[in-house]
Amino acid sequence: MNVGFNRQTRDDSVSDLAIVAAQPRAAEVERGKVLRRMALFDFFFHNLTRSAAILVLLILGGVIFSLIYGSLPAIRAFGLGFLTTESWNPVTEKFGAVAPIYGTLVTSAIAMLIAVPLGLGIAIFLTELCPHALRRPIGVAIELLAGIPSIIYGIWGLFVLAPFLQQHVQPALISLTGDIPVLSSLFAGPPYGIGMLTAGFILAIMVLPFITSISRDVFDTVPPVLKEAASGVGCTTWEVMRYVVIPYTRVGVIGGVMLGLGRALGETMAVTFVIGNAHRVSASLLAPGTTISATIANEFTEAVGDVYTSALIELGLILFVITFFVLAAARFMLMRIEQKSGA
Amino acid sequence: MTAMPVIETKTSTKVSVRNLDFYYGQSHALKKISLPLYTNKVTAFIGPSGCGKSTLLRVLNRMYDLYPRQRAEGEVLLDGENILDPGIDLNLLRSRVGMVFQKPTPFPMSIYDNIAFGIRLYEKLSRSEMDGRVEAALRGAALWDEVRDKLTSSGLGLSGGQQQRLCIARSVAIQPEVILFDEPCSALDPISTAKIEELIDELSERYTIAIVTHNMQQAARVSDFTAFMYLGDLVEFGETNTLFTAPQNKKTQDYITGRFG
Amino acid sequence: MSLYSHRRRVDAVAKALCWTGTLFGLSWLVLILGALIYEGARGLTPAVFTEMTPPPGSSGGLLNAIAGSLVMTAIGVVVGTPLGMLAGTYMAEYGRYSKLSTVVRFINDILLSAPSIVIGLFVYTVVVARVGHFSGVAGAIALAVLVVPVVVRTTEDMLLLVPGPLREAAAALGLPRSHMLLRVAYRAAKSGIITGVLLAVARVSGETAPLLFTSLNNQFWSTDLNAPLSSLPVVIFQFALSPYKDWQQLAWTGALLVTIAVLLLSISARALSSRGNYK
Repeated sequence: MNVGFNRQTRDDSVSDLAIVAAQPRAAEVERGKVLRRMALFDFFFHNLTRSAAILVLLILGGVIFSLIYGSLPAIRAFGLGFLTTESWNPVTEKFGAVAPIYGTLVTSAIAMLIAVPLGLGIAIFLTELCPHALRRPIGVAIELLAGIPSIIYGIWGLFVLAPFLQQHVQPALISLTGDIPVLSSLFAGPPYGIGMLTAGFILAIMVLPFITSISRDVFDTVPPVLKEAASGVGCTTWEVMRYVVIPYTRVGVIGGVMLGLGRALGETMAVTFVIGNAHRVSASLLAPGTTISATIANEFTEAVGDVYTSALIELGLILFVITFFVLAAARFMLMRIEQKSGA
Repeated sequence: MTAMPVIETKTSTKVSVRNLDFYYGQSHALKKISLPLYTNKVTAFIGPSGCGKSTLLRVLNRMYDLYPRQRAEGEVLLDGENILDPGIDLNLLRSRVGMVFQKPTPFPMSIYDNIAFGIRLYEKLSRSEMDGRVEAALRGAALWDEVRDKLTSSGLGLSGGQQQRLCIARSVAIQPEVILFDEPCSALDPISTAKIEELIDELSERYTIAIVTHNMQQAARVSDFTAFMYLGDLVEFGETNTLFTAPQNKKTQDYITGRFG
Repeated sequence: MSLYSHRRRVDAVAKALCWTGTLFGLSWLVLILGALIYEGARGLTPAVFTEMTPPPGSSGGLLNAIAGSLVMTAIGVVVGTPLGMLAGTYMAEYGRYSKLSTVVRFINDILLSAPSIVIGLFVYTVVVARVGHFSGVAGAIALAVLVVPVVVRTTEDMLLLVPGPLREAAAALGLPRSHMLLRVAYRAAKSGIITGVLLAVARVSGETAPLLFTSLNNQFWSTDLNAPLSSLPVVIFQFALSPYKDWQQLAWTGALLVTIAVLLLSISARALSSRGNYK
């Protein structure tokens, strides 16, 4: 009881004739001691949690800093030319990032082309069409698909999917598109099995569950009255989705797609198995190529010399910067849909 | 400014609220409130939703401190000590001013531990002493007979009314001086409500009590004094009998006769 | 009327496409699991659990790889979980309205989906390059960095689900926030947080990329965390891409083991979370 009477102004009309002067009782002194001990612990715990939060911040800072620091030798050696040079020659120590960047973008584009419509379709199925009894099992199955480690997709892609595509799909693609001007160059060359198309395909299977589950969650934020109102004026299920649900959730869906894209861009193991590891830019999707992450995974431990290692780290930096912006945009959009549904 | 009626009853003031202003960010929720809470009396706060009665209650144990951009100005004296003083020990204050909430809030632990938990914080007791204290608290809350055989089962398994009495027992167990009730019966059925009201009456022999209620009959039944609030103003304060039978203010009269609210 | 029947047709087509899409999507799960079981089970012999990874062309097991994976995952989780819980606690409680929390939340979400190979590069530059050699410790650190954001996220989410009145009730007893957390809120959020940790374990136990150049690989039994350490995913990667039949078979079997572990973890996490939190 350390605060006294001194600051009070006794000008109002409250009757305080009998206010008891603060007289600390024995029990209260004891209680005060206990509370001071608890307060001390609270102070300690507060700062402990804050330090942990700051440490999380420092880790990301550390990631960025270490990547930049590790890239310095390569940046000094190649400058901006790194981004415009195709050749990747460990022997002459001349490195350029064009082929990996190209491969990363192309495989991710193929993945999104397949996974976005498919993922949205499954999400629509789960929210609108699916019989109630199946809703949960199918939802869980899709999420299990998301939980399978990427190396499993890799080994499956290498031993099962690639031979299958090589024998059955790719020859058909080549002969079907043989006479069509643009497509024939997209699907040119011998069917290797492994290559950018196969890698894009595997990536599509990998990001499909992410896109599905986020879209489903986002669709669920639509107030039921809105859907009921649309059905009430005679809209079919498809029209309710097309004209009410999807416009209402557009930002969130785009956010989910960007999150999937972020995954696809950075995915390493599944791609490394089936991309073919060729440092060149080919027009044909059937040709082997490489991606940023596959290059790093394949070559890092064997890289001899500072410039080689540093060039690989610079690739990592480029990958990180690209995914950072994609993920930041995704989070920003998902945040907006959360606020909308929360309000 | 409302004139305070001089109260004839021989009683002392436990809490004295003086010129209290309260703000949620920009919005001015309480305007120059002044009123006393008399020792070992029940004071009820009534008024339509949004009148500031719950806000006032949450100033009395500074619960609003958990949230940002809420601030109080003026003075609230507890035994002569200003609890709005920034240097005050909040946790000590709250151990002296207990609170029971609108919805029952048993902790996710056994019935026994729900009570013992609070006691253990402040006192080191032997097993048998602790058993005695838990029993006393549960008896005090008229719950002992119903739970004596299942003290080790979860507090969440009790009915709503029992949970609320458990929360009262928990509050009482740490021996506060003032107990604040924030619409304690609004989630309960009539029978549980009657039990709680009876309990509040018993508790007032030992504690100073403030209760916020939506229900005017309840205020009339349980309280010795009543404060009627409207849009952040204290419209009228007085002995419950007087206030309900001969309200001084037109608004009070309209409210208690059900003309608005 | 023809407009109406057109609309009906469009609706039917759209519905059919959604059905097909779902079947198509689910068939991958069946195909992948089917291949894994078919190929993996063939090599599932006791030797897998009792022998070391073999040199090319001879038979052996995966014991050292399994042990290495367990050790690194355990260390990663033991280090990452408290850190993540504390940071998540700060964001949900002490710093709920602070600028720091907003920034950390954003950063954490980025870390959550950042390419794991970048985390590998980070640990390589910070640990491996400094110390001068690959090590199990470096691998465990990389896994810990991957565990943290998952645990941060679930801890924050679960604490935010703890009802406000429960928090106030604890405060009304005079409890400081730390006691409220340790005695009440963590208890109420327990199953949710455990779910998060299980999911984090599931995530890191299949991670390969960040281990490639931190813990590297080790063909032999090793208990030295300061030396390169074998792990299941890295062995799978190396063996699957080799030309040797024995190695490829072991890769399939390893893949089956990893998948079973991961699926068990995520299924039990789901079962736990559906049993529900404090209501």
